[in-house]
Amino acid sequence: MNIKEYIGSGIIEAYVLGLASESEKAEFEQLCTQYPELVAARRDFEEGLEKHASEQAMQPPMGVKVKVLEAISDATRDVPESVSSNPPKIITMANEKRGSSGLLRFVAAASVILLVVLAWFTYQSHKQNEDLKSSNAALHDELNSTQKTLEAIVNETNVLKNPNTTVVNMVGTKVAPKSSANVYWDSTNNNVFLVVKNMPQLPSDKQYQLWALIDGKPTDLGVFDSRNDKVILQMKDTKKAQAFAITIEKAGGNPTPTLDSMQSLGKTMQSQ
Amino acid sequence: MKRRDNQAFSTLYDNYAGALYSIIKQIITDNAELASDVLQEVFINIYRKIDTYDQTKGRLFTWMLNIARNASIDTLRSKSYQNAQKNQELPDNVYKGTADQSIQLNVDNIGLKKVLEKLRPEHRVLVELAYFKGFTHEEIAEMMSVPLGTVKTRIRNALLQLREYLQ
Repeated sequence: MNIKEYIGSGIIEAYVLGLASESEKAEFEQLCTQYPELVAARRDFEEGLEKHASEQAMQPPMGVKVKVLEAISDATRDVPESVSSNPPKIITMANEKRGSSGLLRFVAAASVILLVVLAWFTYQSHKQNEDLKSSNAALHDELNSTQKTLEAIVNETNVLKNPNTTVVNMVGTKVAPKSSANVYWDSTNNNVFLVVKNMPQLPSDKQYQLWALIDGKPTDLGVFDSRNDKVILQMKDTKKAQAFAITIEKAGGNPTPTLDSMQSLGKTMQSQ
Repeated sequence: MKRRDNQAFSTLYDNYAGALYSIIKQIITDNAELASDVLQEVFINIYRKIDTYDQTKGRLFTWMLNIARNASIDTLRSKSYQNAQKNQELPDNVYKGTADQSIQLNVDNIGLKKVLEKLRPEHRVLVELAYFKGFTHEEIAEMMSVPLGTVKTRIRNALLQLREYLQ
């Protein structure tokens, strides 16, 4: 198998987008275990797709999130209820045929006992099953949140490790001496990432806004909240910047910065 | 403990709902209410099926994207949706169509469809039918009276071009 040809055949894209047939999928997954370069190429495409999709994200309709969260907590609450609402069914046999043979009585009695025992076992295994389900669900939840954290960390290190990334250390101003943040600026694709180190909580009608100073003119690079502490944020791209600055503005940002609320400032190499 | 996990799920929603809603809207183009229902269904399914997600087979987002696409296509093909379309007296020529002209393309200026516009028309139709309408390669070959092998090759080529635009 020529793996380079295989990678260039479009199979990766078909697999990721769910357009591959069952046999193609099986073959692809099998080859992934043998060729790390195939996995890397798949990951590349997935990352491009994810980036594109998040750039094209649309505001989801109001109220859906609440409905989803309600449905989820209903599902977890329903588990113990369904156990108690399904008591084991015990069917008693009516003693109609009085005076029937001893053997028949014995068989009848035995089957009643058998039924009770069976019902009890069924109930036990049902209960055990439900217990396992709920502990399983708890584990999935945990996995889910760990996964999320891990992805955030991986994304962060990817940016930090990139040799083209320039780090601009922003220090606090007189107004806010403790406010500090780092700008990671990728000179090849002009991406700007922000890691907030220490920014005080703001009232809900205010947001922080990042600015690039280009030839003395401030240009808006987007707004962010103080609760994004220590998380890497992707801001708007910029080709040039002699300095980056953070100000406090009304929620949603302002077209020009309110300079007396400047929280933090950092100069780039282009300023020298 | 439970509350914290729901919080994690809430963060997951905040991060991905927008991107997934965009793909749903690209498939269910003409019914915002239905698209919103599908988004809800998709997240409940993500929550329920998270144990079937296999990290070795791809990124979490890819997995969620496929759930969203499958749910949207299922809805698109459901009886109730088709009936609703008929009630609105819209031409239902997807199944009747045999030639290129009869397939109406709904290329909106959003999301992946925006990238699709850059493809050659004969490629664009195929990706539209396969990805956004969920037709199998066999169905497409029959609809367009093109050999199955040609459909397959053209889709692969279109996907390779897509990849270039995404990079």
